[in-house]
Amino acid sequence: MSDRCDEALANLYLYLDSELDRVSSDRIRAHLADCPPCDGVFRFEHRLKIVVRERLREEVPPHVIAKIRAALETAHETEI
Amino acid sequence: MQYAPQLYTAALRMARNPADAEDLVQETFLKAYRAYHTFQAGTNLKAWLYRILTNTYINKYRKESRRPSEVDLGELEDMYLYRRIGSEHSAASARSAEDAVLEGLVEADVKKAVESLPEVFRLPVLLADLEGFSYKEIAEILDIPIGTVMSRLHRGRKALQKALWEFAQRRGLLPDEVADE
Repeated sequence: MSDRCDEALANLYLYLDSELDRVSSDRIRAHLADCPPCDGVFRFEHRLKIVVRERLREEVPPHVIAKIRAALETAHETEI
Repeated sequence: MQYAPQLYTAALRMARNPADAEDLVQETFLKAYRAYHTFQAGTNLKAWLYRILTNTYINKYRKESRRPSEVDLGELEDMYLYRRIGSEHSAASARSAEDAVLEGLVEADVKKAVESLPEVFRLPVLLADLEGFSYKEIAEILDIPIGTVMSRLHRGRKALQKALWEFAQRRGLLPDEVADE
């Protein structure tokens, strides 16, 4: 573990969340290219973030869309 | 009805049941429709809708205490899931164990893991990981300082990883360590 590793790991989520400025991101990217252990952590966390997002997705049931549309139409009509 | 699928997904994980989620999304669209004159064109429509959704949820459907100080997740280490997998596997087999966990967790596991989070952590995690909002946008949607967003997100993700680890173990997703000999 070098200082560079500490710096990269401290910024793990800021990096994955695209919250770092370009210079800092580039520094981390350069470090990851040289450091397989840190690269392993970042890759895992990145994949996990995608897994979470994809497995949470829901289809809206058509009856929900229909209900909302009807409610909006009623709101529109009562306005006129 | 732009963003309806996203709002419905978030509403389900907030309210944790389909009937309340439906009402929540419907109310969000009605409020947005009535307040549309207050929306500033050119600003972030999606964040504006999420702010309405979140406020509606907090004011009407929340069943938990408002005080985050009461919520104690305990001390969890950073990179919880990664470290748990690594601690039980040698370097050589850790990669395949990671794959087994990431590929083996099913939708129901991830949904239940998210729903197990106390609300103060669940909302920032949903906004960041499901919707990809920036910290600044999350701060505006939840009306909390950016530093609070960061600390809740950090703690919430650790707790989420702990819950996912428990599902992975329960499902027996981790391959047995192959003896080195």
